[in-house]
Amino acid sequence: MNPAIEEQLATNLYYDRTFDCEAAKILPGEYYFTNRPMLIVTVLGSCVAACIRDRISGVGGMNHFMLPDGGDASNPMSVSMRYGAYAMEVLINQLLKAGARRDNLEAKVFGGGNVLRGFTSMNVGERNARFVLDFLRSENIRVVAEDLNDVHPRKVYFFPQTGKVLVKKLKQLNNYTLVKREQDYASRLKSNEVSGEIDLF
Amino acid sequence: MADPNTKFLVVDDFSTMRRIVRNLLKELGYSNVEEAEDGVDGLAKLRAGNFDFVVSDWNMPNMDGLTMLQQIRADAALSRLPVLMVTAEAKKENIIAAAQAGANGYVVKPFTAATLDEKLSKIFEKLEKAGA
Repeated sequence: MNPAIEEQLATNLYYDRTFDCEAAKILPGEYYFTNRPMLIVTVLGSCVAACIRDRISGVGGMNHFMLPDGGDASNPMSVSMRYGAYAMEVLINQLLKAGARRDNLEAKVFGGGNVLRGFTSMNVGERNARFVLDFLRSENIRVVAEDLNDVHPRKVYFFPQTGKVLVKKLKQLNNYTLVKREQDYASRLKSNEVSGEIDLF
Repeated sequence: MADPNTKFLVVDDFSTMRRIVRNLLKELGYSNVEEAEDGVDGLAKLRAGNFDFVVSDWNMPNMDGLTMLQQIRADAALSRLPVLMVTAEAKKENIIAAAQAGANGYVVKPFTAATLDEKLSKIFEKLEKAGA
């Protein structure tokens, strides 16, 4: 059996010379959170990222995910909704454990570009974007900024402590890495069962 | 399947998750379901109403699922209530802590309807045997 899908804490940490601070780079299926003055970076195609922070304490983090194929993401019975809710919950749980208060949370959301057009008739990006907005609305987490959909990939720089976000639209891709990475992630979501497995009792 | 009137309490701080679990339970034939948003709310509802089964998240504000489980086991009126933990915590130490606190089962998110069904039937089966 394939291993169950699980959101992973990003491990790619480096010192960013441009912004002169520590940084974490997150890939599809990963997240990162911190209470230190750091930068969290990711590149999004059709995936979405939620940058969520406690606006009082500055504890914040970012995730990066897409919904697996599997029906209507607004239907609570669908695989899509279960995985999406899980990806959001993992990040928010970590923030709360790190001292954030739920009432203080605010979000900025990015991505969901229609960059895989031609590969599929369905607009994967739009579906991801709609899910993240619906989720935050039903959890009463305020969305204070968004840059969603369109056709371009984005590079997102998030500074959790201040809440500042810089978005660079990538009008031209120098190579195929981004699209390939998202396709690999999509097929990983497809081939691995979206289910945790525990048999202790 | 156990009695379709089995009364469930779903405890989770995410309304999206409560909605998912409620719908999965409904799909499995159980529609007598109420919700609570954290351990404090959960305990209050359990003490006020005659519930048959608890499905609870772990990480929640005010009172987490493990503490709620410990309080359930320590309360003479509730101590025999079956509790299924459904959580994003997949670490071994979490699972062991839940087992030690007296959880009847443990499901890691994101789970399928089939997994939930399997765990529920397993728990009902064991309860039946214990009761017979």
